[in-house]
Amino acid sequence: MAIDEKKTSAAETLRKTRSFGKVRCHNPSCMGRIQPAPGADHAKCPTCGMEYRLFWVNPTLPRIRGPVWDVNREIAKKTFAGKGGAATLKAESKGGK
Amino acid sequence: MALDRKIAFIDLTNGEIQIKPIPISMRKKYLGGRGLDAYLLYNYSKKGVDPLSPDNPLIVSGGILTATCASATARTHVMAKSPLTGLLGSTNMGGFFAPELAWAGFHHLVIKGKAEKPVYLYIHNGNIEIRDAGKLWGKTTTETQWAIREELGDDEIKSLVIGPAGENLVRFANVMTGIKNSGGRTGMGCVMGSKNLKAIAARGTMDIRIAHAQEAFEYNKRFIDQITSAKVNQTQGALGTPFIWGATNCWGGLRTRNFQFNQLEYADDIEPERLDEIATETVGPHHMTGCFACQVHCRGQYRIPSGPYAGKYDEGPEYTSQGAFGAEPGCTSAVTVLTGNHLVNQFGMDNLETGSMIAWAMELYEAGILTEKETDGLDLRFGNDEALLEMVERICYRKGWLGDTLADGGIPAAEKIGKNAFDYLIQVKGMNNLHSDERATPALALNVATSSRGSDHLRSRPAIDLYHLPEDVLRRIYSNPIPYKGPLSSEHTSYEGKPWMVYWQENCYMAVDCLGICKYHTTFLGATLPNFEDWPKVIYYNTGLEFTSEEIWTIAERCNMIERMFNLREGLARNDLKKGDTLNHRYFDEPCRRGAPDVIGLSIDRGKFNKMLDEFYEYKGLDKNGKPKPATLKRLGLENEPSRSL
Repeated sequence: MAIDEKKTSAAETLRKTRSFGKVRCHNPSCMGRIQPAPGADHAKCPTCGMEYRLFWVNPTLPRIRGPVWDVNREIAKKTFAGKGGAATLKAESKGGK
Repeated sequence: MALDRKIAFIDLTNGEIQIKPIPISMRKKYLGGRGLDAYLLYNYSKKGVDPLSPDNPLIVSGGILTATCASATARTHVMAKSPLTGLLGSTNMGGFFAPELAWAGFHHLVIKGKAEKPVYLYIHNGNIEIRDAGKLWGKTTTETQWAIREELGDDEIKSLVIGPAGENLVRFANVMTGIKNSGGRTGMGCVMGSKNLKAIAARGTMDIRIAHAQEAFEYNKRFIDQITSAKVNQTQGALGTPFIWGATNCWGGLRTRNFQFNQLEYADDIEPERLDEIATETVGPHHMTGCFACQVHCRGQYRIPSGPYAGKYDEGPEYTSQGAFGAEPGCTSAVTVLTGNHLVNQFGMDNLETGSMIAWAMELYEAGILTEKETDGLDLRFGNDEALLEMVERICYRKGWLGDTLADGGIPAAEKIGKNAFDYLIQVKGMNNLHSDERATPALALNVATSSRGSDHLRSRPAIDLYHLPEDVLRRIYSNPIPYKGPLSSEHTSYEGKPWMVYWQENCYMAVDCLGICKYHTTFLGATLPNFEDWPKVIYYNTGLEFTSEEIWTIAERCNMIERMFNLREGLARNDLKKGDTLNHRYFDEPCRRGAPDVIGLSIDRGKFNKMLDEFYEYKGLDKNGKPKPATLKRLGLENEPSRSL
């Protein structure tokens, strides 16, 4: 029988490692922690440069609402071009094969 | 006690009903819920059965823990051969139906045959009646449930129903319970419609004796603590699944305009916070609600704020409705999303498939493959909100050439439309993909390619792969209960170790579906939620059955394998674009071009994908073609199936 009252599961011990009060960058390879100024409606990731609109659940709990579209669109365009994206797009047929 | 719930075999053609106990030996092999359903489908259907024929068994169930003292045992599972894919049909929904069915004395129903005229089943305290549903036919899903309650004079009745889409044999029609709890995938509502079965109503007051009640209550407190302290569940309780949509769109993981893009830009009006504002304005601050025995409360309530359906009440929208009526058709209006969600809920139609089919038609229209002749004059360009909602209704009622064509599902529709329409269809095994874009996440791509019911995120998705958890944390999760010493990578773009993660999740989700609990209560969106280590106690305290974590893992393997055996029998082949474990060419050929810098330019490497698939097959005990090795069948005790031992 696999019942052991004193044993904590992996899930339970992992909870102890959590942190509170900041947001994580939504760029998945970055995931840097961002600490916005209290009440700020925007925040920029100090690590990767992505910019976000913020929502405050309460005065001490910020949450990312979404990207700052114009800023991040420019970042995306430059990145795509830098990775040879324009050439890839030309070679692509639109949609199907 | 939970284990004395029965199984009923119901033949709608001749009205015969057989009620049997479920032997403990079957519980030990399959637990219950989806796992036992898979056994029943494999055993009680013949190879090549027409999904819409009376011989296709429709199986409805709760899990082994349903309505016990365990948390979130709300899930109802429905299985049959799918009229959408021709393979495994399987769908799972929350709400209150399965517990009511258990209190009425049953855990599993196997429904065969076809009634001469519309009927519904009424199940109450060990009895099953087949009743006339003539007056219910044509009603929406909500109207049907209220009409049954009125007819039987009991507002506590919980019903599983189809709407007009199921009656019209739309191949992706839902089974629904409550306002929005949907068994959406693989067209189980269509199977009900083909049997002239409008609804299954349940009402029960039969106690379920808990094997070790005090311990079960005490242990469930620990469970609840784990569930409610997870941040992901706290956010779900505030915003529902739209919060996942918002985050996914933020970084560029969202299928947009039929997979042409991976992000819906300037989507502020359908972001979760905006939907939350609308719900607050139209329903009130406490607009989140939940399913039976759940502490998460992820289901929003709202009224449509404006437009032709202004004031109509509904629930949700879920991530999939934001995708179906937002990103996929390229629409950015909250009213459109909320209205589309309302229509599919009332019609009883899968939101995911509906939105995907319309978005596919939109791209075909923009590419000139469909013209105004086929659309009956409808301007079907992306971003046309009115055309989108019009098409929802046309599909449900099979209006016009295009509505009728799309109602038959992607692959038949592609064949009817011709040209290269199929190349634009983003599907796996005949079912459209979730509205997420997996080109930057190889693990998730492998998950959708190999899911047993067609492209799906709820069968094996290692969603926590996106959290970049440290490798030692991943190892603690993924090395339990079976030791795993191979590679694991925290990097979501890596192909290393991902097949094991997908395999582990496949077994985890199968176990959850056998128990009858919700996936928000396990390692799906949160790394700190219960899994194999935690379940033996819950099962023991509630049912008295003793399992080790390793035994539960093996049961999950067995149940997944029998689903695989069903699919192989019905034609699954590894590289078949229509019935295989592979992906649309866009995954491999077209890179992501929006979103976060690290996502841009990524696509799936075909060679590496195939290596992942090989490795995944190895873990499952399959050969290179995806067929089970004899030793695997023997190890899992499946070498003599179908055995018809129930």
